[in-house]
Amino acid sequence: MSTSRSVGILATRSIRNIRRLPSAFFPALAMPIFNMVVFAGTFFAVTKIPGFPTDRSINWYMPLGIMMGSAFAGVGLGFTAIRDIETGFYDRLRMTPTSRLSLVLGPLTGTLVRVVMMTTIVIVIGIALGARFTGGVLGILCLYAAALGLSTIGAGWGLGLAFIFKDMRGAAIMQLSIFLVMFLSSAQVPLNVMDGWLHTVARINPATNILRLARVGLVNESNADHLSFNAVWGGIVAIVVMGGLSLGFALRQLRKLSN
Amino acid sequence: MRRKPADVVRQLVALSRRSTLAIFRQPALVGPSLIFPLFFAALGSSSFSRAISLPGFPKVDSYLQFTLAGTVTQGVLFGSVTGAAALATDIQDGFFDRLLAAPTSRTSILFGRLAGSSLFGGMQALIFLLALLPFGVTVQAGLLGYVSIVVAGFVTAFAVGALMSVVALKTGSAEAVQGTFPVLFILLFLSSAFFPRETMSGAYRRIADFNPISYMVEGQRSLSIDGVSLIAMTQTLVIPVGIAVLTTMLALRQLSVRLAAR
Amino acid sequence: MNSAPIIAEQLARHFGDVKAVDGIDLTVNQGEIFGFLGPNGAGKSTAVRMLTTLLRPTSGTARVAGFDVVKQADEVRRNIGVALQDAAIDPLMTGNELLELQAVLYGIASNKMKERASELLERVGLTAAADRRVSTYSGGMRRRLDLALSLIHQPAVLFLDEPTTGLDPMSRLTLWEEVRRLNREGTTVMLTTQYLEEADQLADRIAIIDHGKIVREGKPSDLKRTVGDPTLLINVSREHSDAASGVLARFGEMRPTAEGTLGVGLRGGAERVAEVVRALDEANIVVEHLELNQPSLDDVFAEATGYRLEGADNAPQAR
Repeated sequence: MSTSRSVGILATRSIRNIRRLPSAFFPALAMPIFNMVVFAGTFFAVTKIPGFPTDRSINWYMPLGIMMGSAFAGVGLGFTAIRDIETGFYDRLRMTPTSRLSLVLGPLTGTLVRVVMMTTIVIVIGIALGARFTGGVLGILCLYAAALGLSTIGAGWGLGLAFIFKDMRGAAIMQLSIFLVMFLSSAQVPLNVMDGWLHTVARINPATNILRLARVGLVNESNADHLSFNAVWGGIVAIVVMGGLSLGFALRQLRKLSN
Repeated sequence: MRRKPADVVRQLVALSRRSTLAIFRQPALVGPSLIFPLFFAALGSSSFSRAISLPGFPKVDSYLQFTLAGTVTQGVLFGSVTGAAALATDIQDGFFDRLLAAPTSRTSILFGRLAGSSLFGGMQALIFLLALLPFGVTVQAGLLGYVSIVVAGFVTAFAVGALMSVVALKTGSAEAVQGTFPVLFILLFLSSAFFPRETMSGAYRRIADFNPISYMVEGQRSLSIDGVSLIAMTQTLVIPVGIAVLTTMLALRQLSVRLAAR
Repeated sequence: MNSAPIIAEQLARHFGDVKAVDGIDLTVNQGEIFGFLGPNGAGKSTAVRMLTTLLRPTSGTARVAGFDVVKQADEVRRNIGVALQDAAIDPLMTGNELLELQAVLYGIASNKMKERASELLERVGLTAAADRRVSTYSGGMRRRLDLALSLIHQPAVLFLDEPTTGLDPMSRLTLWEEVRRLNREGTTVMLTTQYLEEADQLADRIAIIDHGKIVREGKPSDLKRTVGDPTLLINVSREHSDAASGVLARFGEMRPTAEGTLGVGLRGGAERVAEVVRALDEANIVVEHLELNQPSLDDVFAEATGYRLEGADNAPQAR
């Protein structure tokens, strides 16, 4: 009971800051849109490669933009935590008797609300630029699920690093690691189109599974991944396992803050 | 105030030396502009190996061969921000005003400041050319081609550095200079640096058609894939020189505005 | 079992080889204002961070409000209020929002929240500013809001970490008055400060920490008495400095002072001043300034730590 109130008020603080600190939210919105537009435009012809799962490049790169945005929105929580640690505000939170879990879940809830807003806006722009959901409502839900899941993983990772480093060094590691994990996956092209080293890496990268989940409602109806359970379960397992691990990591580092 | 040409040269050399050392003493600043383009080239070679047979692609053996020019340009563009950020830092720290107070020639201050990042731009081009060599990526135009691409790297870095200097001189803030970084990023992506214009469509294609970076990259690409041609040489060298002349004029004008304001 | 609200036993905290707090014993009694003094880096804030559950001790134990700070951290948190040194307040939030956040995190029922918040705002004189963002507050207003925040759950023990550092004299007096009022109402207060006058004004008892150890503890009046002799301070020109020290040393123990001033604990007190002046005159030393100070906490501090806190610009830095 008291935990859910704590989560609520901490989430409120985070959501309120969208309006009060728009300079922080704007890039979080511009980045996925930019990603979507330039990838879809630059690699317009990539869908003509035999075996490519969709014939609209924006169908392929809109989910990528949203996933990049979600991952960075997640680690963005780490940035906020670093700022709060540096100003001492985090000490104030830690001195309250509220459960440590709510100190993690509260801001996370705020981040998830931001991710839903961002995803919705990018989808609307994507559709205006020619994206078409082949999988209907179910496909849209899968995209939202992937976005929320990936941002949760990013949030746990970002918070944990923030608690370890307590300053902006942590932020550099957050950004670089998310960047690498996202690009060493099926971000640009599907596994069946890749050759060489990247195929080996992307195949075992959980981000590939989550991207696959994000795209099940956007690939051609004739594609094997189209709304198929096979394409969905890997992403869900990746989200549950990686999300659990990363939130556990964040909680453990939070408790270690007093060491 | 008359200055002997020999003095101007000596000042230019001294200032160039300083700006060059400043760049190479900050590996954390220059490292990313070497590593990221190579990372993207490696990524592309795996991702787009089957794209090169698509209609609109030139005849190449590998995507790496195709993307060589894009990699060089990407690295040089990003690397050149560093030098301009250093100029802004100089302004913030007051070093710049001290220089201006001394009887130093105005142009040698600007050119000296930009020498470091220009040299770095040329070096970057050379590094990328050499780094991709073991993967069978060669420049068909031979020595002339290699030299042209390195010179293009030097001039491009100078041109971008001068443009960034305008921002630096205007705002005097290193952050503002770093803040223009996304603009370069967007310009690069709205060009044919990664995929041929022939494969693009609609508005995106038209933007790339207007973007001078497209033609610069395509000149270098033609040198590397097809060999020497007058058009390729012109695109490789004349475009960056043209931009450099323009941005230098802007920078010198901004410099005199700053001097007048003192 | 001892029921004092703050008890530390052999409390220690090491950072690598640095013994920031090196085994301190401390008892703060019910209803006291306890002053905790020490130069920067002496271990003051480390000790307070341990007592307020922010930092785990390396060894030793501490009980605050009857609970162990490690094993019963949540119980301790429920019973203490803490106003932090740099008033860590999110500048994007308003006073009301911060009070609400704090109230929820302390589990205060929603129906009591509003009433409690407006009562506290009234108390610290911020009612009119309650809906403004904290970034528009002055330093004094922030401290007062900070105090209100630390009182939201009516804590039995209040920790005030350098509550008046950087405040103008007026704001300082207002804050002192508020602390006294809280204390009269039954709150036990532990106050860390660098201002000896503040401790002298407010504290029933004080402790001085230096290099991680408690070097003095007691009532300010008792401690002042232990210093005994008043301090005679003189200023002489630089070239006479050594000669003057030689003369002064004959009248008592030299005491540390700010640079450019010489000080001696004058044995026998005021009636010997004339003697000192005569001796200096015989040595052909020109005295530029002379004053006799009754023992103050500053003297206690100087005697305990070897340097003065006030005029700290000239004092040797602690670590």
